[in-house]
Amino acid sequence: MKIQVNEQVVEVADNTNIERLLLQLDKPLMGSAVAVNQEVITRSQWESYIINEGDNISLFQAIAGG
Amino acid sequence: MLNDAELLRYSRHLLLEDVGETGQLALKNAKVLIIGMGGLGSPASLYLAAAGIGHLVLSDFDSIEVSNLQRQITYQSDDVGDSKVEVTKRKLQQINPEIKVRSINKSMQADQLTMELTMADLVLDCTDNMQSRQLINKACVDAKVPLIVGAAIRFEGQLMFFDHSEADSPCYHCLFPSSEEQTLNCSNSGIIGPVVGTIGTLQALEVIKYFVGLPSGIKNKLKLFDGKTLDWQTFVINKDPTCKVCGHL
Ligand SMILES: [Zn+2]
Repeated sequence: MKIQVNEQVVEVADNTNIERLLLQLDKPLMGSAVAVNQEVITRSQWESYIINEGDNISLFQAIAGG
Repeated sequence: MLNDAELLRYSRHLLLEDVGETGQLALKNAKVLIIGMGGLGSPASLYLAAAGIGHLVLSDFDSIEVSNLQRQITYQSDDVGDSKVEVTKRKLQQINPEIKVRSINKSMQADQLTMELTMADLVLDCTDNMQSRQLINKACVDAKVPLIVGAAIRFEGQLMFFDHSEADSPCYHCLFPSSEEQTLNCSNSGIIGPVVGTIGTLQALEVIKYFVGLPSGIKNKLKLFDGKTLDWQTFVINKDPTCKVCGHL
């Protein structure tokens, strides 16, 4: 199925959870944050949260600078 | 009551229906702790002093380096080598002698932070490292003090507001649960001055709105700013029931 990740179309298998998506995209698990349809999915839910067709996923990193 | 000097100084606030004399008095009574006097803390403290926040506490242990001057707009070349909080305190008092400014010229550990929070109505996290951010978040959650977090690197900014006086508030740790990780900061990634300045300025705006009683558009939200396109993204942050910092509340 097709989803959007940071405005790019990405093809993922059915029943993909967020952890698997990050691994598929070769993104680090540490320091990443994930939002699905503008709602942050906290790290404790990454295994249980199953991505749906057409979901709009945003990946971003913690930044500490100031 | 505001005195004549204050009525004149804050006349452009007093013209605003959303501020008025009541709002200005609320600003005068406000106690704000600003942690970090770098690229975020510079504009945030300048605007808050000018706006008449009555009690500002400034915390930083750094002295001014020449590489700070590209973005930390409180400082000038003559200040290199001097303490950031001492220079900032002097400049804020020059801008507005009506307010009280106190400086803490050291790295605050948990104990001192907890003590400072008993005297603060609101905290601005303007620090430059993940360890401090996690420490400040935990202290604000425990003390139930509202926290406005700013961060920036490269052309990117992040802004969020957690009102920890509300029991069901999420926290910074719900969003970014790890403190050991290699995170991006200004020294390893670079930063554009107006980007960090934009975020620090908006932290000050949120402080003013909070004390005059205007609702925040960013409560329990993360705003991401892209300095190249000037686009903003907004994400809702939900409380993580398993969060080590706020999950038990
Ligand atoms: Zn939390």
